[in-house]
Amino acid sequence: MNIDALYLVQLTLNGLMLGLLYALIAAGLSLIFGVMEIINFAHGELLMLGAYAMAFVLPVVGLLYWPALVAAVVGVMLAGLLIYEVLLAQLKPEEFERSILITLGLSIVLIHTMQLLFTATPRLVDTQYGFDGIEIGSIRITWTRVIGAGAAVGAFAGLYLVLHHTQFGRAMRAIAQNREAALMVGIRPRSVARNAVTLAAGLCGLAGAAISPIQLVTPYMGQFLIFKAFALVIIGGLGNIPGAIVAALVLGLIESLIGGFFEIVWQEAAVFVIMILVLFLRPDGLFKQGGMRVG
Amino acid sequence: MRQLALALVVALAFAALPLLTTSNYIVGVGVSALIFTVAAAALNLIYGYTGLLSFAQLGFWGVGGYASALTVVSFGGSFWWGVIWAAAINAMLAILIGFPMLRTSRHAFVIGSLTFALLATLVARDWVDLTRGPLGIPNLPPPSAFGIAFDTTAKFYWIAWAFSVAMLALLYALCSSRIGRTLIAIRQNEDLVRAQGISPTPYKLSAFTISAAVTGAAGGVYSFHLGIIDPTFLDFYYMQTFLIIVIIGGTGSFWGVLASGIVLSALPEALRFSADFRMIIYGAILVLAMFVMPGGVAGWFRDRAIARQREALG
Repeated sequence: MNIDALYLVQLTLNGLMLGLLYALIAAGLSLIFGVMEIINFAHGELLMLGAYAMAFVLPVVGLLYWPALVAAVVGVMLAGLLIYEVLLAQLKPEEFERSILITLGLSIVLIHTMQLLFTATPRLVDTQYGFDGIEIGSIRITWTRVIGAGAAVGAFAGLYLVLHHTQFGRAMRAIAQNREAALMVGIRPRSVARNAVTLAAGLCGLAGAAISPIQLVTPYMGQFLIFKAFALVIIGGLGNIPGAIVAALVLGLIESLIGGFFEIVWQEAAVFVIMILVLFLRPDGLFKQGGMRVG
Repeated sequence: MRQLALALVVALAFAALPLLTTSNYIVGVGVSALIFTVAAAALNLIYGYTGLLSFAQLGFWGVGGYASALTVVSFGGSFWWGVIWAAAINAMLAILIGFPMLRTSRHAFVIGSLTFALLATLVARDWVDLTRGPLGIPNLPPPSAFGIAFDTTAKFYWIAWAFSVAMLALLYALCSSRIGRTLIAIRQNEDLVRAQGISPTPYKLSAFTISAAVTGAAGGVYSFHLGIIDPTFLDFYYMQTFLIIVIIGGTGSFWGVLASGIVLSALPEALRFSADFRMIIYGAILVLAMFVMPGGVAGWFRDRAIARQREALG
C-alpha cells in the first residue's frame, strides 16, 4: 500500500501542475470574454508563440531560464496588442460569431505559417536546469515544473491584485459587470479591452513559455489545449475568472488521476463529458451566483 | 419558377461531367465539390438561416463517414443502408446533444458544438474495437445496385450527383417554406418570434437535426469516394472548408452557398498550392471576408441591388 500512496501523491502533484497550466489559459479567455464578450479562438496559438519564443530566446541568452521567460511573455503580449489593434478592435459587442470566425482564421494562418517556416518537427527545449530536480522522499520533480507552477501561482496573485487594487483592473471588472454604467462614469471600453487582451496574452505567453521545457513544442500544441480551455470556461461560467481557475485545477487533478488508473481515452474525454453534464444541470456554469430572475 | 428552371439546367449540365472528360482526377474533384456543397448547404441551414454557429457539423460528418463504412464492413449491410444509417444515427445524436445545448446561451452553444466534434475525433482515434483506431478501415468496397457495381470514379460520380441533387432539393424546399422563414425570423429577433406565439426551440432543434442528418449522409457518401476512412476524416480542415464556403457564398443565401461550394471546392485544386500554403490562404480569406464582405458574395449583390433601387427613387 505504501507504493500506492506514493503513486497517488505523484499523480496529485502532476495534476496540480497540469491544472495551473490550464488555469493560465482559461483565465485569459475568461477575462477577454468578460470585457469584450468575444471568444478568442487564436488564444492557443498565443501559447504556441510563447513556447516558440522561449525555444528561440533560450540559446541566445545562454540557456538562462528567467530572461528567456520574460522575453517570451513580453513578446506574446506585443503579439496580443497587435491582434487587438488590427483585428479585435473592429468588433462590436454582440458580434460573437464574427469574433469566432475572425480569430479562427487568424489561428489557421498562425499555425500553418509556423509549420511552413519551422516544419512540424517537434522541438525539445533545453534550459539551464536541464532535467535536474528536487527530491522529497522518493518523489522527484524537475525544477522546470516547480518553477513553472510557481510562476503560474505568482501570475494569479498578480492578476488578483491588478483586478482588485488598481484602477487599470477595476475598469476591466466594471466593464464586465455593466458596460453602460461603466461608459457613464467615463471608462473607455476600447482602451480597457486593449489592456485586457494584452494581459490575457501575457498569461498565455507565460503558460507557453513555462510548458516548453516540459513538453515538445509543435505548431499544433495550442490547439488541443485551447479546446479544453473553452470547455473549462463554460464549466466555470462564461466570464467568471475564479470559476475558470477552480475548474481548471480540478480538471488537472481529475485528468491526472484518471490517467493513472484508467485508460488514456477517458483522460482526454473527461473534460468534454463533464462539460456536457454541467450544461445539462447548470446551463450557466457551476459557479453562477443566484441572480435575480424576472418572470 | 425561372430560378428553378435554371437550377434544373445547371444540375443536368453537372450530370454530364463524366461524359466530357476522361480524367479521373477532374471527376474526383467534381465528386468532392458536390458533396462539400451539400455539407456546406447543411451548415448554411443551421448557421446562415437559424443563426447558430455549429462546429458539430464536423462531428456529424465524421460519424456519418464511420457509420456508413462500418455498416458495410462490420455489419454486412449495403452502401445504401450505410448512408441511411449515417443520417439516422446523426439525427438521433443531434437531438441528444442539441436539447441541452439549446437551453444555454448562443455562446455556450458554439463551444458545446465544438466539444462534440472533438469528442467524435477522440472516439474515432481511441475506440479501437469499433473504429479500428488510427489505422482506419481501408478498401471500402464500391457500392452496387441492380447488379451494377459503381467501381470507377466516373460511375461513383452519378451517385454523388443524384445524392447531392436530392439533398439540395430537400434543403431548398425546407429553406423556402414557412419553416425557413421562421428560422430566419429566429436569427433576426428571437424575442419577437416568441411574442408572435412561436416557440423557437422546436424549430432550432429540428434545423439542427436535419442539418446533422444531411451532413452525416454526405460524410457517409464521401468516405466511399475516398475508399478509406481513418481519424483524419475528422480533420478540422473539413470544418474550415464548409465554413469558408458558407461565408464567401453568403450566410442565409441558398444559391450563393451553392455557387461558392462548387467554385471553392474546385479552385484550390486548380491552383495547386502546397497544403500549408493553401490553409494560410484559407485563413486569410476567412479573416478578410469577415471584414470586407460579412454578407458574402450574395450579401454584396443584395446591397448593390438595394443601392440601385435607392438611386432610382432619387
